[in-house]
Amino acid sequence: MQNEKNILNWFNREGSQEDLGADKDARIFEKIAHYASHIDVPKVDVESALANIKTRTAQVEKVKVRRLHVSRYYKMAVAAIVVLALGYFTLFNTTKSYQTDIAQTIHFNLPDQSEVTLNANSSISFNKKSWKEQRDLELNGEAYFKVEKGQKFTVITSQGKVQVLGTQFNVKERDDYFEVHCYEGLVAVSYNGSQLQLSKGKTFRIVNGQPSDVTDFGTLAPEWLSDESSFKEVPYKEVIAEFERQFDLKIEMKQVDENQLFTGSFTHNNKNTALKSITIPLQLSYKIDGKNVIVYKYEGN
Amino acid sequence: METPKGNLCKEPTFNEFYTTHVQAASNFAFYKCGNQAEALDLVQEAFVKLWENCAKVDFSKAKSYLWTTVNHMFLNSVRHQKVVLNYAKETPYIDRDNQNPEFLLEEDEFKAKLLEAIEDLTPSQREVFLLNRIEGKKYREIADELDVSQKTVEKHMSAALKLLRAKFDNI
Repeated sequence: MQNEKNILNWFNREGSQEDLGADKDARIFEKIAHYASHIDVPKVDVESALANIKTRTAQVEKVKVRRLHVSRYYKMAVAAIVVLALGYFTLFNTTKSYQTDIAQTIHFNLPDQSEVTLNANSSISFNKKSWKEQRDLELNGEAYFKVEKGQKFTVITSQGKVQVLGTQFNVKERDDYFEVHCYEGLVAVSYNGSQLQLSKGKTFRIVNGQPSDVTDFGTLAPEWLSDESSFKEVPYKEVIAEFERQFDLKIEMKQVDENQLFTGSFTHNNKNTALKSITIPLQLSYKIDGKNVIVYKYEGN
Repeated sequence: METPKGNLCKEPTFNEFYTTHVQAASNFAFYKCGNQAEALDLVQEAFVKLWENCAKVDFSKAKSYLWTTVNHMFLNSVRHQKVVLNYAKETPYIDRDNQNPEFLLEEDEFKAKLLEAIEDLTPSQREVFLLNRIEGKKYREIADELDVSQKTVEKHMSAALKLLRAKFDNI
Protein backbone atom coordinates (compact mmCIF):
# COMPACT_ATOMS: atom_id res chain seq x y z
CA MET A 1 0.00 0.00 0.00
CA GLN A 2 1.52 3.29 -1.09
CA ASN A 3 0.42 6.46 0.65
CA GLU A 4 -0.80 4.37 3.62
CA LYS A 5 -1.20 7.45 5.80
CA ASN A 6 -3.45 9.13 3.25
CA ILE A 7 -5.65 6.12 2.86
CA LEU A 8 -6.04 5.74 6.61
CA ASN A 9 -6.96 9.40 6.84
CA TRP A 10 -9.45 9.08 4.05
CA PHE A 11 -11.19 6.19 5.83
CA ASN A 12 -11.25 8.37 8.91
CA ARG A 13 -13.06 11.05 6.92
CA GLU A 14 -10.11 13.36 7.36
CA GLY A 15 -8.26 13.11 4.07
CA SER A 16 -9.47 14.66 0.87
CA GLN A 17 -10.34 12.84 -2.32
CA GLU A 18 -7.07 14.06 -3.86
CA ASP A 19 -5.07 12.46 -1.08
CA LEU A 20 -6.65 9.14 -1.89
CA GLY A 21 -5.67 9.57 -5.48
CA ALA A 22 -7.35 8.49 -8.65
CA ASP A 23 -5.57 5.32 -9.58
CA LYS A 24 -6.76 1.71 -9.52
CA ASP A 25 -5.87 1.40 -5.85
CA ALA A 26 -7.99 4.37 -4.97
CA ARG A 27 -10.99 2.99 -6.86
CA ILE A 28 -10.72 -0.33 -5.06
CA PHE A 29 -10.55 1.36 -1.67
CA GLU A 30 -13.55 3.45 -2.56
CA LYS A 31 -15.48 0.31 -3.35
CA ILE A 32 -14.29 -1.40 -0.17
CA ALA A 33 -15.32 1.61 1.86
CA HIS A 34 -18.69 1.83 0.16
CA TYR A 35 -19.78 -1.80 0.23
CA ALA A 36 -18.39 -2.59 3.67
CA SER A 37 -20.51 0.13 5.17
CA HIS A 38 -23.58 -1.72 3.94
CA ILE A 39 -22.95 -4.90 5.85
CA ASP A 40 -26.05 -5.92 7.69
CA VAL A 41 -26.03 -5.73 11.47
CA PRO A 42 -28.51 -7.97 13.28
CA LYS A 43 -31.22 -6.00 15.00
CA VAL A 44 -31.77 -6.97 18.62
CA ASP A 45 -35.37 -7.43 19.63
CA VAL A 46 -34.84 -5.46 22.80
CA GLU A 47 -38.06 -6.43 24.49
CA SER A 48 -37.76 -10.17 24.10
CA ALA A 49 -34.05 -10.03 24.88
CA LEU A 50 -34.83 -8.17 28.08
CA ALA A 51 -37.50 -10.70 28.98
CA ASN A 52 -35.03 -13.46 28.31
CA ILE A 53 -32.38 -11.91 30.52
CA LYS A 54 -34.96 -11.47 33.29
CA THR A 55 -35.39 -15.23 33.51
CA ARG A 56 -31.62 -15.61 33.70
CA THR A 57 -31.13 -12.94 36.32
CA ALA A 58 -34.01 -14.35 38.33
CA GLN A 59 -32.09 -17.58 38.59
CA VAL A 60 -28.96 -15.72 39.53
CA GLU A 61 -30.79 -13.84 42.23
CA LYS A 62 -31.98 -17.04 43.82
CA VAL A 63 -28.44 -18.25 44.30
CA LYS A 64 -26.98 -14.93 45.36
CA VAL A 65 -24.91 -15.78 48.40
CA ARG A 66 -24.49 -13.74 51.50
CA ARG A 67 -21.57 -14.91 53.56
CA LEU A 68 -22.11 -15.44 57.24
CA HIS A 69 -19.33 -14.87 59.67
CA VAL A 70 -19.98 -17.17 62.58
CA SER A 71 -17.63 -18.91 64.89
CA ARG A 72 -17.00 -22.60 64.64
CA TYR A 73 -18.76 -23.13 67.93
CA TYR A 74 -21.87 -21.61 66.56
CA LYS A 75 -21.69 -23.70 63.46
CA MET A 76 -21.36 -26.89 65.48
CA ALA A 77 -24.25 -25.92 67.71
CA VAL A 78 -26.42 -25.10 64.71
CA ALA A 79 -25.48 -28.36 63.04
CA ALA A 80 -26.43 -30.28 66.18
CA ILE A 81 -29.78 -28.53 66.39
CA VAL A 82 -30.49 -29.21 62.76
CA VAL A 83 -29.72 -32.89 63.18
CA LEU A 84 -31.90 -33.12 66.28
CA ALA A 85 -34.74 -31.24 64.71
CA LEU A 86 -34.61 -33.33 61.56
CA GLY A 87 -34.55 -36.49 63.62
CA TYR A 88 -37.48 -35.29 65.68
CA PHE A 89 -39.54 -34.44 62.66
CA THR A 90 -38.87 -37.66 60.81
CA LEU A 91 -39.56 -39.76 63.90
CA PHE A 92 -42.44 -37.99 65.53
CA ASN A 93 -44.05 -35.56 63.18
CA THR A 94 -46.12 -37.85 61.08
CA THR A 95 -49.12 -35.61 60.73
CA LYS A 96 -50.01 -34.98 57.17
CA SER A 97 -52.24 -32.04 56.25
CA TYR A 98 -53.94 -30.83 53.13
CA GLN A 99 -55.49 -27.45 52.67
CA THR A 100 -57.47 -25.71 49.97
CA ASP A 101 -58.02 -22.03 49.28
CA ILE A 102 -61.09 -20.35 47.98
CA ALA A 103 -62.17 -21.71 44.58
CA GLN A 104 -59.82 -24.67 44.85
CA THR A 105 -60.47 -28.38 45.26
CA ILE A 106 -57.91 -31.12 45.62
CA HIS A 107 -58.06 -34.85 45.34
CA PHE A 108 -55.70 -37.25 47.07
CA ASN A 109 -55.36 -40.78 48.35
CA LEU A 110 -54.95 -41.83 51.95
CA PRO A 111 -52.32 -44.43 52.87
CA ASP A 112 -54.88 -47.23 52.43
CA GLN A 113 -55.91 -45.92 49.01
CA SER A 114 -59.15 -44.43 50.31
CA GLU A 115 -59.92 -41.37 48.26
CA VAL A 116 -60.56 -37.88 49.51
CA THR A 117 -61.70 -34.85 47.58
CA LEU A 118 -61.42 -31.64 49.51
CA ASN A 119 -63.75 -28.80 48.60
CA ALA A 120 -62.81 -25.13 48.63
CA ASN A 121 -61.51 -23.40 51.76
CA SER A 122 -61.17 -26.60 53.77
CA SER A 123 -58.45 -28.48 55.54
CA ILE A 124 -57.84 -32.02 56.59
CA SER A 125 -55.15 -33.71 58.65
CA PHE A 126 -54.35 -37.22 59.76
CA ASN A 127 -51.56 -39.29 61.19
CA LYS A 128 -49.66 -41.15 58.52
CA LYS A 129 -47.88 -43.42 60.93
CA SER A 130 -50.80 -44.85 62.81
CA TRP A 131 -53.16 -44.86 59.85
CA LYS A 132 -53.12 -48.64 59.63
CA GLU A 133 -54.38 -49.05 63.17
CA GLN A 134 -56.54 -46.01 63.40
CA ARG A 135 -58.19 -44.37 60.45
CA ASP A 136 -58.98 -41.04 62.07
CA LEU A 137 -58.89 -37.72 60.36
CA GLU A 138 -59.79 -34.22 61.27
CA LEU A 139 -61.83 -32.16 58.89
CA ASN A 140 -62.54 -28.51 58.75
CA GLY A 141 -64.85 -27.68 55.88
CA GLU A 142 -66.20 -30.03 53.26
CA ALA A 143 -64.89 -33.25 51.79
CA TYR A 144 -66.06 -36.29 49.91
CA PHE A 145 -64.76 -39.70 50.93
CA LYS A 146 -64.55 -42.98 49.13
CA VAL A 147 -63.41 -45.36 51.81
CA GLU A 148 -61.64 -48.65 51.25
CA LYS A 149 -62.88 -51.50 53.37
CA GLY A 150 -60.97 -51.99 56.61
CA GLN A 151 -60.81 -50.63 60.13
CA LYS A 152 -63.27 -48.09 61.36
CA PHE A 153 -62.90 -44.88 59.41
CA THR A 154 -63.62 -41.77 61.45
CA VAL A 155 -64.01 -38.20 60.36
CA ILE A 156 -63.76 -35.84 63.30
CA THR A 157 -65.15 -32.35 62.99
CA SER A 158 -65.75 -29.69 65.59
CA GLN A 159 -69.48 -30.42 65.39
CA GLY A 160 -69.70 -34.15 65.16
CA LYS A 161 -68.08 -37.43 64.29
CA VAL A 162 -68.78 -39.59 61.27
CA GLN A 163 -67.85 -43.24 61.32
CA VAL A 164 -67.94 -45.83 58.60
CA LEU A 165 -66.46 -49.12 57.57
CA GLY A 166 -66.27 -48.78 53.86
CA THR A 167 -68.47 -46.49 51.88
CA GLN A 168 -68.82 -43.20 50.08
CA PHE A 169 -69.95 -40.12 51.84
CA ASN A 170 -69.69 -36.38 52.00
CA VAL A 171 -69.11 -34.33 55.13
CA LYS A 172 -69.75 -30.63 55.23
CA GLU A 173 -68.89 -28.74 58.37
CA ARG A 174 -69.16 -24.97 58.22
CA ASP A 175 -70.20 -22.27 60.67
CA ASP A 176 -73.59 -23.24 62.12
CA TYR A 177 -73.89 -25.94 59.53
CA PHE A 178 -73.12 -29.65 59.61
CA GLU A 179 -74.20 -32.08 56.96
CA VAL A 180 -73.44 -35.67 56.09
CA HIS A 181 -74.54 -37.31 52.87
CA CYS A 182 -74.28 -41.04 52.44
CA TYR A 183 -73.73 -42.17 48.87
CA GLU A 184 -72.97 -45.82 49.49
CA GLY A 185 -72.90 -48.23 52.41
CA LEU A 186 -73.73 -47.22 55.93
CA VAL A 187 -72.52 -44.17 57.84
CA ALA A 188 -72.70 -43.64 61.58
CA VAL A 189 -72.96 -40.02 62.70
CA SER A 190 -72.34 -39.05 66.32
CA TYR A 191 -73.69 -35.69 67.22
CA ASN A 192 -74.11 -34.22 70.66
CA GLY A 193 -73.81 -37.61 72.38
CA SER A 194 -76.41 -39.31 70.23
CA GLN A 195 -75.69 -41.60 67.36
CA LEU A 196 -77.62 -42.36 64.25
CA GLN A 197 -77.11 -44.45 61.20
CA LEU A 198 -77.39 -43.18 57.69
CA SER A 199 -78.02 -45.48 54.77
CA LYS A 200 -77.55 -44.84 51.09
CA GLY A 201 -79.36 -41.77 49.80
CA LYS A 202 -79.89 -40.31 53.27
CA THR A 203 -78.77 -36.98 54.60
CA PHE A 204 -78.11 -35.81 58.11
CA ARG A 205 -78.15 -32.08 58.58
CA ILE A 206 -77.81 -29.72 61.53
CA VAL A 207 -78.51 -26.06 60.99
CA ASN A 208 -77.92 -23.60 63.82
CA GLY A 209 -77.72 -26.53 66.23
CA GLN A 210 -81.10 -27.92 65.15
CA PRO A 211 -81.49 -31.13 63.17
CA SER A 212 -83.49 -30.61 60.02
CA ASP A 213 -85.31 -33.14 57.90
CA VAL A 214 -84.05 -33.60 54.42
CA THR A 215 -85.68 -35.70 51.78
CA ASP A 216 -83.68 -38.49 50.16
CA PHE A 217 -81.52 -37.71 47.21
CA GLY A 218 -80.66 -39.78 44.20
CA THR A 219 -77.27 -38.66 43.02
CA LEU A 220 -74.27 -40.98 43.03
CA ALA A 221 -71.70 -38.43 44.10
CA PRO A 222 -71.75 -34.85 45.37
CA GLU A 223 -72.40 -32.24 42.70
CA TRP A 224 -69.39 -30.20 43.73
CA LEU A 225 -67.16 -32.94 42.36
CA SER A 226 -68.45 -31.93 38.94
CA ASP A 227 -67.98 -28.22 39.59
CA GLU A 228 -71.44 -27.52 40.84
CA SER A 229 -72.86 -26.83 44.28
CA SER A 230 -76.30 -28.20 44.91
CA PHE A 231 -78.71 -27.43 47.73
CA LYS A 232 -81.91 -28.87 48.98
CA GLU A 233 -83.84 -26.68 51.39
CA VAL A 234 -80.70 -25.09 52.73
CA PRO A 235 -80.71 -21.72 54.54
CA TYR A 236 -79.81 -19.00 52.09
CA LYS A 237 -76.86 -17.73 54.13
CA GLU A 238 -75.13 -21.11 53.77
CA VAL A 239 -75.67 -20.96 50.02
CA ILE A 240 -74.06 -17.53 50.00
CA ALA A 241 -71.18 -18.76 52.17
CA GLU A 242 -70.60 -21.64 49.76
CA PHE A 243 -70.66 -19.23 46.86
CA GLU A 244 -67.98 -17.12 48.52
CA ARG A 245 -65.86 -20.23 48.98
CA GLN A 246 -66.09 -21.19 45.34
CA PHE A 247 -65.53 -17.75 43.86
CA ASP A 248 -63.15 -15.24 45.27
CA LEU A 249 -65.96 -12.77 45.90
CA LYS A 250 -67.53 -11.13 48.92
CA ILE A 251 -71.30 -10.99 49.02
CA GLU A 252 -73.26 -8.35 50.83
CA MET A 253 -76.98 -8.89 51.30
CA LYS A 254 -79.45 -6.03 51.44
CA GLN A 255 -82.91 -6.66 52.80
CA VAL A 256 -82.66 -10.35 52.12
CA ASP A 257 -83.97 -13.03 54.45
CA GLU A 258 -80.85 -15.04 55.24
CA ASN A 259 -82.76 -17.96 56.66
CA GLN A 260 -85.17 -18.64 53.85
CA LEU A 261 -84.63 -22.06 52.35
CA PHE A 262 -83.05 -22.48 48.98
CA THR A 263 -83.25 -25.42 46.65
CA GLY A 264 -81.14 -25.34 43.55
CA SER A 265 -77.58 -25.35 42.40
CA PHE A 266 -74.89 -23.17 40.94
CA THR A 267 -71.94 -23.81 38.68
CA HIS A 268 -68.34 -23.16 39.74
CA ASN A 269 -67.26 -22.21 36.28
CA ASN A 270 -69.01 -18.95 35.62
CA LYS A 271 -69.74 -16.40 38.30
CA ASN A 272 -72.50 -14.66 36.38
CA THR A 273 -74.41 -17.82 35.65
CA ALA A 274 -73.88 -18.89 39.22
CA LEU A 275 -75.13 -15.59 40.59
CA LYS A 276 -78.19 -15.76 38.42
CA SER A 277 -79.00 -19.27 39.60
CA ILE A 278 -78.93 -18.24 43.24
CA THR A 279 -80.74 -14.91 42.89
CA ILE A 280 -83.46 -15.21 40.25
CA PRO A 281 -85.40 -18.09 41.93
CA LEU A 282 -85.75 -15.93 45.03
CA GLN A 283 -86.59 -12.82 43.03
CA LEU A 284 -83.35 -11.19 44.00
CA SER A 285 -80.95 -9.22 41.90
CA TYR A 286 -77.25 -8.55 42.14
CA LYS A 287 -74.58 -6.02 41.28
CA ILE A 288 -70.89 -6.89 40.85
CA ASP A 289 -68.40 -4.29 41.92
CA GLY A 290 -64.86 -5.64 41.65
CA LYS A 291 -64.48 -8.28 44.34
CA ASN A 292 -67.76 -7.38 45.97
CA VAL A 293 -71.24 -8.42 45.05
CA ILE A 294 -74.38 -6.84 46.39
CA VAL A 295 -77.47 -9.03 46.44
CA TYR A 296 -80.71 -7.14 46.93
CA LYS A 297 -84.43 -7.51 46.69
CA TYR A 298 -85.61 -6.88 43.20
CA GLU A 299 -88.24 -4.16 43.27
CA GLY A 300 -88.76 -3.80 39.57
CA ASN A 301 -91.97 -3.22 37.71
CA MET B 1 -27.75 8.50 32.74
CA GLU B 2 -29.72 11.51 33.89
CA THR B 3 -29.23 10.40 37.46
CA PRO B 4 -25.64 11.08 38.45
CA LYS B 5 -25.55 8.12 40.78
CA GLY B 6 -27.75 5.49 39.25
CA ASN B 7 -27.99 2.25 41.11
CA LEU B 8 -27.75 -0.71 38.77
CA CYS B 9 -29.15 -3.03 41.41
CA LYS B 10 -32.47 -1.25 41.06
CA GLU B 11 -34.46 -2.98 38.41
CA PRO B 12 -35.80 0.08 36.57
CA THR B 13 -32.28 1.52 36.35
CA PHE B 14 -30.92 -1.75 35.08
CA ASN B 15 -33.73 -2.11 32.57
CA GLU B 16 -33.12 1.35 31.23
CA PHE B 17 -29.40 0.74 31.01
CA TYR B 18 -30.10 -2.51 29.22
CA THR B 19 -32.48 -0.98 26.71
CA THR B 20 -30.08 1.87 25.99
CA HIS B 21 -27.03 -0.26 25.39
CA VAL B 22 -28.06 -3.71 24.25
CA GLN B 23 -28.06 -2.89 20.54
CA ALA B 24 -24.66 -1.21 20.62
CA ALA B 25 -23.22 -4.01 22.71
CA SER B 26 -24.62 -6.57 20.33
CA ASN B 27 -23.12 -4.71 17.34
CA PHE B 28 -19.80 -4.60 19.09
CA ALA B 29 -19.88 -8.34 19.76
CA PHE B 30 -21.09 -8.96 16.23
CA TYR B 31 -18.16 -7.12 14.62
CA LYS B 32 -15.86 -9.22 16.69
CA CYS B 33 -17.31 -12.67 16.25
CA GLY B 34 -19.27 -12.13 13.04
CA ASN B 35 -22.13 -14.30 14.19
CA GLN B 36 -25.55 -13.11 15.20
CA ALA B 37 -26.45 -15.87 17.68
CA GLU B 38 -23.06 -15.88 19.33
CA ALA B 39 -23.08 -12.10 19.59
CA LEU B 40 -26.40 -11.98 21.42
CA ASP B 41 -25.30 -14.82 23.68
CA LEU B 42 -22.14 -12.98 24.67
CA VAL B 43 -24.05 -9.80 25.31
CA GLN B 44 -26.71 -11.48 27.42
CA GLU B 45 -24.07 -13.21 29.49
CA ALA B 46 -22.25 -9.95 29.98
CA PHE B 47 -25.44 -8.27 31.17
CA VAL B 48 -26.10 -11.10 33.60
CA LYS B 49 -22.59 -10.65 34.92
CA LEU B 50 -23.18 -6.93 35.27
CA TRP B 51 -26.38 -7.64 37.20
CA GLU B 52 -24.57 -10.02 39.51
CA ASN B 53 -21.96 -7.39 40.19
CA CYS B 54 -24.34 -4.46 40.18
CA ALA B 55 -23.27 -3.36 43.63
CA LYS B 56 -19.59 -3.31 42.75
CA VAL B 57 -19.80 -1.53 39.41
CA ASP B 58 -20.04 2.23 39.41
CA PHE B 59 -22.79 3.44 37.12
CA SER B 60 -20.44 5.70 35.17
CA LYS B 61 -18.19 2.73 34.45
CA ALA B 62 -20.97 0.29 33.66
CA LYS B 63 -20.73 0.70 29.92
CA SER B 64 -17.01 0.10 29.75
CA TYR B 65 -17.46 -2.80 32.18
CA LEU B 66 -19.96 -4.27 29.78
CA TRP B 67 -17.70 -3.85 26.76
CA THR B 68 -14.74 -5.35 28.60
CA THR B 69 -16.86 -8.28 29.74
CA VAL B 70 -18.06 -8.97 26.21
CA ASN B 71 -14.47 -8.85 25.08
CA HIS B 72 -13.28 -11.27 27.76
CA MET B 73 -16.16 -13.60 27.17
CA PHE B 74 -15.38 -13.61 23.50
CA LEU B 75 -11.76 -14.48 24.18
CA ASN B 76 -12.75 -17.15 26.67
CA SER B 77 -15.42 -18.85 24.61
CA VAL B 78 -13.44 -21.77 23.34
CA ARG B 79 -15.19 -22.64 20.14
CA HIS B 80 -16.19 -19.78 17.91
CA GLN B 81 -18.92 -20.24 15.43
CA LYS B 82 -18.36 -19.52 11.80
CA VAL B 83 -18.20 -15.90 10.79
CA VAL B 84 -21.22 -15.14 8.61
CA LEU B 85 -21.70 -11.68 7.26
CA ASN B 86 -24.33 -10.40 4.88
CA TYR B 87 -25.13 -7.20 3.13
CA ALA B 88 -28.19 -5.23 4.05
CA LYS B 89 -31.14 -5.88 1.73
CA GLU B 90 -30.99 -2.64 -0.18
CA THR B 91 -27.33 -2.02 -0.73
CA PRO B 92 -26.91 0.54 -3.50
CA TYR B 93 -24.26 0.01 -6.12
CA ILE B 94 -21.40 2.47 -5.96
CA ASP B 95 -22.48 3.87 -9.29
CA ARG B 96 -26.24 4.08 -8.96
CA ASP B 97 -26.86 5.20 -12.54
CA ASN B 98 -24.97 2.46 -14.22
CA GLN B 99 -27.37 -0.34 -15.05
CA ASN B 100 -25.03 -2.07 -17.47
CA PRO B 101 -25.40 -5.80 -16.72
CA GLU B 102 -21.69 -6.35 -17.04
CA PHE B 103 -21.00 -3.66 -14.45
CA LEU B 104 -23.61 -5.11 -12.08
CA LEU B 105 -22.13 -8.57 -12.40
CA GLU B 106 -18.65 -7.27 -11.69
CA GLU B 107 -19.89 -5.38 -8.69
CA ASP B 108 -21.68 -8.40 -7.27
CA GLU B 109 -18.52 -10.39 -7.64
CA PHE B 110 -16.59 -7.66 -5.89
CA LYS B 111 -19.11 -7.59 -3.06
CA ALA B 112 -18.96 -11.33 -2.52
CA LYS B 113 -15.19 -11.30 -2.48
CA LEU B 114 -15.13 -8.39 -0.05
CA LEU B 115 -17.47 -10.15 2.34
CA GLU B 116 -15.27 -13.22 2.33
CA ALA B 117 -12.19 -11.09 2.92
CA ILE B 118 -13.79 -9.34 5.90
CA GLU B 119 -14.83 -12.69 7.33
CA ASP B 120 -11.18 -13.74 7.12
CA LEU B 121 -9.87 -10.77 9.10
CA THR B 122 -8.83 -11.31 12.70
CA PRO B 123 -11.48 -10.35 15.27
CA SER B 124 -9.61 -7.19 16.27
CA GLN B 125 -9.10 -6.10 12.69
CA ARG B 126 -12.71 -6.78 11.80
CA GLU B 127 -13.95 -5.00 14.88
CA VAL B 128 -12.04 -1.82 14.13
CA PHE B 129 -12.79 -1.94 10.43
CA LEU B 130 -16.55 -2.44 10.90
CA LEU B 131 -16.85 0.09 13.70
CA ASN B 132 -15.33 2.55 11.29
CA ARG B 133 -17.35 1.47 8.26
CA ILE B 134 -20.76 0.60 9.65
CA GLU B 135 -20.98 2.99 12.56
CA GLY B 136 -18.85 5.66 10.91
CA LYS B 137 -16.73 6.02 14.00
CA LYS B 138 -13.40 7.82 13.93
CA TYR B 139 -10.25 6.09 15.09
CA ARG B 140 -10.20 8.29 18.20
CA GLU B 141 -13.73 7.21 19.17
CA ILE B 142 -12.98 3.56 18.54
CA ALA B 143 -9.85 3.80 20.67
CA ASP B 144 -11.88 5.29 23.52
CA GLU B 145 -14.53 2.66 23.25
CA LEU B 146 -12.10 -0.25 23.21
CA ASP B 147 -9.88 1.37 25.78
CA VAL B 148 -6.76 1.14 23.61
CA SER B 149 -4.54 3.77 22.04
CA GLN B 150 -5.39 5.41 18.74
CA LYS B 151 -2.15 4.01 17.38
CA THR B 152 -3.37 0.48 18.02
CA VAL B 153 -6.62 1.19 16.23
CA GLU B 154 -4.73 2.61 13.25
CA LYS B 155 -2.48 -0.42 13.22
CA HIS B 156 -5.47 -2.80 13.08
CA MET B 157 -7.19 -0.68 10.46
CA SER B 158 -4.10 -0.49 8.31
CA ALA B 159 -3.57 -4.26 8.52
CA ALA B 160 -7.23 -4.84 7.68
CA LEU B 161 -7.04 -2.55 4.63
CA LYS B 162 -3.89 -4.26 3.40
CA LEU B 163 -5.50 -7.69 3.63
CA LEU B 164 -8.66 -6.55 1.94
CA ARG B 165 -6.72 -4.78 -0.81
CA ALA B 166 -4.66 -7.91 -1.40
CA LYS B 167 -7.84 -9.83 -2.27
CA PHE B 168 -8.27 -7.66 -5.33
CA ASP B 169 -4.72 -7.76 -6.59
CA ASN B 170 -5.63 -9.28 -9.91
CA ILE B 171 -8.31 -6.80 -10.79
